[in-house]
Amino acid sequence: MRLFGTMGADASFREEDFFGREEELSALTRAALEGSRGIGSSFMIYGPPNIGKTSLLLKLAKVLGGSAAGEGLPRPFPLYFSFSQILSHPLALSQHFLQEFLSQLLRFLGDERPSSFDPAAMCDRLASFGVTGCREILAAHDRCTAEGDGLSALVNALSFPFSASGELFYPVFLFDDFQYTGKLQAVPEGAMLSILRPYIKSGRFPMFLSGSSPGRVTAALKREGLFGTFQMIEVGGLSTTSSVRLWGHLCERRRVEIPASLLPRASERLGGIPTYQRMLVEEIFFRGAKVPDAVTLENLYAVSVTEGKLNRYWREFFENTFPDRVQRGRAIRFLKRILCDRFPLDTMEGAISLMGTTDAEGEAILSALEFKGLLKVDLDQLMFPGDPVLADFLYWAFERGVLGKGTSQVAAAIVQARLSRTAPEPGQGGDHARRVAVVKELMRKWDLREVPLLLLDFGMFREKFGGKGLLEVVIGMEREAVRVRLPKVSSVSTGYRASRGGPRFDFDLVAYGFLDSDFSEENLVIWAVDAAVEKNLGARAVEHFENRCRLLALEKMLPHDRLRKWMLINETADPAAVDLASRYGIHLSHPTQLRLFLNLFGLEELEREPEPARSPGSEAPPAGKTLEYELVLPIKADSEVVAARVAEEVAAFASVDADTVDRIKMAIIEACINAFEHSASESGKVRLRYLLSPDKIELFVQDDGKGFRSGKTPEESKKNRGWGLKLIRELVDDVEVITGPDGTVVHMMMHLGGDPANPGSVQQEQEEGGSASPGER
Amino acid sequence: MSPHTTIRIREERDTLVVCVGGYLNSQLGEEIEKVVRATLGDGTRRILINFEDTRLVNSIGISFVIGIVEKVMEREGRMAFCALSRINRDLFRVTGLEKYVRSFETESEALDYLAGKE
Repeated sequence: MRLFGTMGADASFREEDFFGREEELSALTRAALEGSRGIGSSFMIYGPPNIGKTSLLLKLAKVLGGSAAGEGLPRPFPLYFSFSQILSHPLALSQHFLQEFLSQLLRFLGDERPSSFDPAAMCDRLASFGVTGCREILAAHDRCTAEGDGLSALVNALSFPFSASGELFYPVFLFDDFQYTGKLQAVPEGAMLSILRPYIKSGRFPMFLSGSSPGRVTAALKREGLFGTFQMIEVGGLSTTSSVRLWGHLCERRRVEIPASLLPRASERLGGIPTYQRMLVEEIFFRGAKVPDAVTLENLYAVSVTEGKLNRYWREFFENTFPDRVQRGRAIRFLKRILCDRFPLDTMEGAISLMGTTDAEGEAILSALEFKGLLKVDLDQLMFPGDPVLADFLYWAFERGVLGKGTSQVAAAIVQARLSRTAPEPGQGGDHARRVAVVKELMRKWDLREVPLLLLDFGMFREKFGGKGLLEVVIGMEREAVRVRLPKVSSVSTGYRASRGGPRFDFDLVAYGFLDSDFSEENLVIWAVDAAVEKNLGARAVEHFENRCRLLALEKMLPHDRLRKWMLINETADPAAVDLASRYGIHLSHPTQLRLFLNLFGLEELEREPEPARSPGSEAPPAGKTLEYELVLPIKADSEVVAARVAEEVAAFASVDADTVDRIKMAIIEACINAFEHSASESGKVRLRYLLSPDKIELFVQDDGKGFRSGKTPEESKKNRGWGLKLIRELVDDVEVITGPDGTVVHMMMHLGGDPANPGSVQQEQEEGGSASPGER
Repeated sequence: MSPHTTIRIREERDTLVVCVGGYLNSQLGEEIEKVVRATLGDGTRRILINFEDTRLVNSIGISFVIGIVEKVMEREGRMAFCALSRINRDLFRVTGLEKYVRSFETESEALDYLAGKE
């Protein structure tokens, strides 16, 4: 009878490509060698797909095959067998197993590989090596086949290695892709373990099971009462050192040159997964590319993920796992949300509702993912392996499939995302890039949060405050009606600047969200964001932006409320531009508003590049012109920090030196705290006004209380309090407290332009204070 | 509103080092006071407050620091500040704190001083 040849895996395994994993190997080898003294331990090796489990087993087989046994002790015979060959019929499987066992054993015993795959002939050869009982097993197998009794055939075949062992050798089982044993036809799940159970329980035979679906196998082990017998070994990516050695080896073989300094980062990029390293080197070799620097490497990687080998690998993986196109789409979108957008999720129910499908289909998808090792279920808790290449592939699949973007655009986005995360670009266009980054961060934070619409809309501010001043900022809203519930933003990507022949819709930033947390195409909302480059936003720029938005809406067939349009002003905006924007429903925001958003959302301010020294007064308002800013603060712990921030921003317009800015900030903080304490709190708000003219900054802090109390209350003296006003006097050039029927206004003034005659009272005192003896008593 | 307002503490050379980050307001002042009180209870008598990461200060925060200084002096401990920014140094002087506690540019100078190596 003609049987299959040996499986591909061990034939294609190249020992010289194996690097690292010293620890696992030595532990497994030790355990396997103990079998010579009749001590067998059982291991379950698990990990995500293509992490290198099979290579580890095959390497172990090589190590064991070449190991010398102790004097008079049997030698270990490593029997590698993979269940992945989809021999789902137990008769076919048992026949294949017998065939594999006989031929591997013959080779182990030193026999040349037989020219024909004839089991009877192999039995005769084995008999000459003193291995008996082979004929009986074959006869029993034929009997089972004739009767169609698959289960008995399996029992017959799998027990043979145990009975055949003796003085000469003992079997070391290396069972790969063990999760497939749960999918045999007409055989209950776990039958394979029931058959092996007595041998495992005997504690005499080393047994290594490997598979990507630990949940399924673990559950089967538990059912058989074998779980406690097994030691679990999780296989992850290579250590950086091993991975770098592998790079060296692969590059040398293909004569590909990658500077050594890039290798650790490249390893991290691929999660230290050897298969990916091999594929990427092949890709580079295939394209005959030179890799002089990190950017080129990133580009080649992105090309591979979007249209090369890495892409093909995962595409085939998903096509095999989900032959049904609709199901495949669901699975990819689901995984994308988890691995790329970090959607926090760890329950079955959550997963199924995120997929937005029926329970039955959702379970089928999860089960398929689990089977392939892309999901680990433990006590109903879901865990997903973090595979960087898979994440980028999913990103590509989503952008390509759902949003219809071109491959080169996606590749560019992957590279950009990566580079912007690792090395923020200095210099040119930094301001613009930083603003885009800020918005990106904000978008991420906008999950399920309500944002006062006024914070978004420059036009509404102007209307509300009668066009007074350049900028009015309001914190804390009076009416709920001006709040907007933002869609849950699912993905944020940097858009693409227009270039000739490039894509038609180019924005600085595009974000995708879903209304009501419903991840369906009908509820898709797109944010298109542009950060204006020109200092004064003109109507033409608004028109241009609107046109692009229209095209985008047309292309995506978005209803008008599904496209949110947002422009960031650089410094100022033409009244005409503001009118136009409000007519088109485009949100405008000022950079200062962005800063305030950061504060509101509790975000760390992005790393600021050292600002170039401004020539004094170059950006100050023209002589005689006064800029006015207003801010309304809710009486709320720490909201004075917002006031200080705004002061800092306002001062930046007039190139005020850092020390003066610090003084203004401290003074305003003290004034706000006092206002909070003394406000009669009818509206629960404190109003601030910042007036900036070429020679001075004036600050007004108004509460609606009854003014400062000059005498200390008992509580205040206990807390050593009550010097807020005193501090303010020290900090600024001039203070005036006006109490009227509407409350109290603290008016503070700071001269600008470094008038030597009035450097501030604090500085004068410094000389006197310096002589006071400090230290302990 | 100020999520980046924190203190970090560690022991170095028998000295409790308190690093004040962000905004020294009443909450943070109270936290420092708590930590210092616990430390004095444990027998450590040397306290160093590091203001390197302090970006803002308000008067309530300062009053807590004064309370702490009083406590340390009561227990006959030694105390120092370091890495004060110019504006914070000014504020400490105006409020009189400077007369009681010596401040240093760097942490190691302050630690030397507290260890008695002047």
